[in-house]
Amino acid sequence: MIGTLEANTQLINRKLKNPISKKSKAQYPDLSDKAISLQNDVNLLKSNKINPNLVKTIEIDGKTLSGTERTIPSGEKEKSDLEKVPIFTLVTTYLSYLILISFAHLRDRVGRFFYPSQYEFLSESNGYAPLISDFESLWIRRLYTRISDCFSRPITGVAGGHVTLLERKSRDHNKTFEFTGNKLEVLNLASYNYLGFAQSHGYCADQVEERILDNAVSIPSPRNQGGQTKLLLEAEALVSRYLGVEDTVIISMGYATNSSIIPLLVEKGCLIISDDLNHSSLVSGSRLSGSSIKTFKHNDAKDLERVLRQSISQGQPRTHRPWNKILVVVEGLYSMEGEFCNLREIVALKAKYKFYIFVDEAHSIGAIGKHGRGVCEHFNIDHRKIDVLMGTFTKSFGAVGGYIAGSKTLISRLKLKSHSSVYSEVMPVPVLGQVISTVKLLLNEVPEHEGEGQKRIETLARNSSFFINGLRKMGFMVLGDDGSPVVPLLLFNPGKIPAFSHECLKRNIAVVVVSSPATPIITGRVRFCISASHTIKDLEYALEQIDQIGDLLDLKLLKK
Amino acid sequence: MSIGTGILISLLSAAFAEKDNFAQSKNDPINHDETPKHSFIGIGIRFIIRYVKSSYRDDPFRTFLELCLVFFIVWYISRNKYKMNQTDIVLSEKDIDELISEWKPDPLSLELTNEEKEVLENVPVIDGPNGVVVNLIDGSKVVNFTCFDFLGFQTNSDIKNKAVSILRDYGVGACGPTGFYGTLDVHMELESTIKTFMNAEGAILYSQGMATIVSIIPCFSKRNDIIIADEKCNFMIQQGINLSRSKVFWYKHNDMDDLERVMIKTNDIVSKVKGPLPRKFVITEGLFSDTGNIVPLDTVMDLKNKYKYRIILDDSLAIGTLGPRGAGTTDLFGISPKKIDLLLGSLWQVFGAAGGFCCASKELISHQRLSGAGYVFSASMPAILAVTADDNIKRLEIDYPVLLPKLHKNVSLFRKTISRIKDIIVEGDPLSPIIHIRLSNDIIKNYIRITKGQDVETWSRQEENHILIGIVSEMRKGGVLVSQAIYVDEQEHSSHKPSIKALITVSHTTEHFDSFCELLEESISRFH
Repeated sequence: MIGTLEANTQLINRKLKNPISKKSKAQYPDLSDKAISLQNDVNLLKSNKINPNLVKTIEIDGKTLSGTERTIPSGEKEKSDLEKVPIFTLVTTYLSYLILISFAHLRDRVGRFFYPSQYEFLSESNGYAPLISDFESLWIRRLYTRISDCFSRPITGVAGGHVTLLERKSRDHNKTFEFTGNKLEVLNLASYNYLGFAQSHGYCADQVEERILDNAVSIPSPRNQGGQTKLLLEAEALVSRYLGVEDTVIISMGYATNSSIIPLLVEKGCLIISDDLNHSSLVSGSRLSGSSIKTFKHNDAKDLERVLRQSISQGQPRTHRPWNKILVVVEGLYSMEGEFCNLREIVALKAKYKFYIFVDEAHSIGAIGKHGRGVCEHFNIDHRKIDVLMGTFTKSFGAVGGYIAGSKTLISRLKLKSHSSVYSEVMPVPVLGQVISTVKLLLNEVPEHEGEGQKRIETLARNSSFFINGLRKMGFMVLGDDGSPVVPLLLFNPGKIPAFSHECLKRNIAVVVVSSPATPIITGRVRFCISASHTIKDLEYALEQIDQIGDLLDLKLLKK
Repeated sequence: MSIGTGILISLLSAAFAEKDNFAQSKNDPINHDETPKHSFIGIGIRFIIRYVKSSYRDDPFRTFLELCLVFFIVWYISRNKYKMNQTDIVLSEKDIDELISEWKPDPLSLELTNEEKEVLENVPVIDGPNGVVVNLIDGSKVVNFTCFDFLGFQTNSDIKNKAVSILRDYGVGACGPTGFYGTLDVHMELESTIKTFMNAEGAILYSQGMATIVSIIPCFSKRNDIIIADEKCNFMIQQGINLSRSKVFWYKHNDMDDLERVMIKTNDIVSKVKGPLPRKFVITEGLFSDTGNIVPLDTVMDLKNKYKYRIILDDSLAIGTLGPRGAGTTDLFGISPKKIDLLLGSLWQVFGAAGGFCCASKELISHQRLSGAGYVFSASMPAILAVTADDNIKRLEIDYPVLLPKLHKNVSLFRKTISRIKDIIVEGDPLSPIIHIRLSNDIIKNYIRITKGQDVETWSRQEENHILIGIVSEMRKGGVLVSQAIYVDEQEHSSHKPSIKALITVSHTTEHFDSFCELLEESISRFH
């Protein structure tokens, strides 16, 4: 918190620089007066006589001061929300981590002394360097293991609105687990089953069955060497039509879609400008491409513009030769934040700075927009303005794999050259069947199920806004934009992370909790994923239970 | 820098303030009380001056040293630090705008060249199931030599029925990564089946074949670590190595003397570098997909033990095709899989499902479950595919005495049949079901003489590829589906010689081989 205060005062000081100078004083007398009053506020803040909540208002004043009036994008809204966090919570969170880490080190020291054999794999032995680095392993052994029962919970059956967990117990503090044999039927607020297409019965499953019986289970050849089937082309044509693009290529794995396609778009001598919070697959792809990588502040179009101006004017490092291409990589919906990409402002920069834009719609496709066509539809942006549209079938479509959509020229190159077309499997038959049937429903091309796709999209929108508003009313600190099916709720203290998960499980609710290193150290969170297969009754039950847990764990930080 | 100047400025301003105070107090003694802050600093300055004076009187040299120290600290803090953009040119906003409007980016993707178009247009489209005989979209029926289904598991109709029953229990996708409620009971069963089949300590499942090796290499080998790899390792291994950012040394394909030379050289380099010992890996394929050769694993093991390297073995194609039990190169050489540090296999090729797996010790498996990017960040494998893989592995466990000899018989039969064609070079190990067939130089020269009407000594890869595409499409018309080997040439580490890649399975018959041979002979004979 002291850090944030310091940062804010610095920010304000920076903004004050101009108004206070003599020249500007002459030009804008009233502005500099305001600046001086701000300076007083800062002094007050420094002496801690003022409520830190005021920082927010000062910051906004600072903005109007700099003369650029604009609406505050969601990124900063979150920041201001975060600044409402009581100092007590922040201090205890940092303290908890401090205690946890010192305790971890202490246990390691003691352990190494008494049981050296258990630590052999961490130290150099017989001329071999340890395979696992000490620090990484410390984090896993001493912090993750303590709460590992909250992760990788095995399930059986369909991960729909409700899911069946296989109950497990540990006798050795989460080192190993054994199954009790019980099965727990719980409400599923964890799976990415946004449109509720994870089903074992109904139209889609029937279609999949038909495809399996007509074809086989898999196609054990790469696309370019005997793996291209009629079914694959059918699916690609459907997806193109759904998205309103020229052509699409389907790849058998979502992660690999990003990590293997980006190297084909840009190479050495090109620049990738990537959002701070981009997914690991985008980072892998960017690294593999061999091009230079720069990042801009999460969702901040102003910062992107700064990076663009700097990069284009300076050219490549050292040589100052102009860049061959610039690719801006963003996600449509950030899955850890529940935030939409600030796409409209980013696209607005395109005309001037001539960069190409890559939008990863892994979470947004199907779930966002009036007809589920993703973040472009949500913001009313023409799909053709986006050079590369990427998405996955894992989430809304209840399948696996991913796609890239774009111009005919681009896609035929990718079909020929993409690493998975040449070296890896094509999408298996049941998955293709699922993709075809779900997209057909969303396109409303199945007469027997008229309007079902649209109904699911609407139900999802209703469910998400019902849930997020419910949580906000209770006073929880909830991130995310309205309309996002991903709803993160901040927990802060590391102790509350497993506690929340355990309490939910006791009440028959499955949730995902996330902490550092997947999030910043301070903002450990629980992430709810809302689905069209939830009923309002399900969500009411969940809200009721979360309400109780919130009181129990003192999570309602915004309660008035 | 800002702190340093800040200190200096505050000291100076304090000194000036002091002076001002004196002046003010002389002129206007009433005002003196209204500036308590200034006089507070004044007291500090006075104290310092007094201290300096007295210490100067006692020990002038010490004062000098102390002053030097103060100036050193101020200099140290305020010096220019190294910046990323040190070479940046200072430009005005107008210049920047001009540069931006002048800048013209390359197009995002170029139109395909004619050669590339030819390749893409020649990719066959299959209608219906993939197997040994397939229907093409134009209605013709062809014998398929492009399917990795070496053991003929595709034709099994039990698998389809089982798949449907699993569909009715599990749906298709698991809608989440393994960490977040994506771990199904069938995944755990498959892992334990693999563990038993491979006779390993533990196994982990990856949901796509390609992602397995790409994520395992960077999971263990980091920057500053050392990798020695075979120069003909497949593309995905190369990608994994790139991603790990380790130092990589290549040795000549399957050349053990060269491997030893590189190991000695590398160890020599390592011993000269200070700091912690880097991790050292040898990476090789078991059965090379790009050449059809088999690695002499026993020698590699001896060398790796001698020079203290760890081994990552990509046995994707060998598992299910080589060894008495079909458990891969380790089985073939009688080496315990537990001695291989990281042993990789695929489930999408021989076992007709999807994805891949890695066998290793328990610690390394659990490390991958949290640090293997392709495992952590990817959706888990659909239940249908996991069960299919599980069934096929179990089938191999029972049927290996029938299936493997049949496969090897077919491979040698094919090699024998094809050996009667002159002017071609058949590559690879006699056991390998992947067979790369190349044209001899004479035949290429002949071809170029016929088409261009001139004698040449050298030709480009594109030209050679073009000839192969012609042969392949000619053969397809005759009823045999085979493909030339396709690579992403511009990104591969070493260039591959153009070849026709034939995959031999148990389901092929003598007639299939004969028609393959006849068609190939016929299309080549036109070049004489």
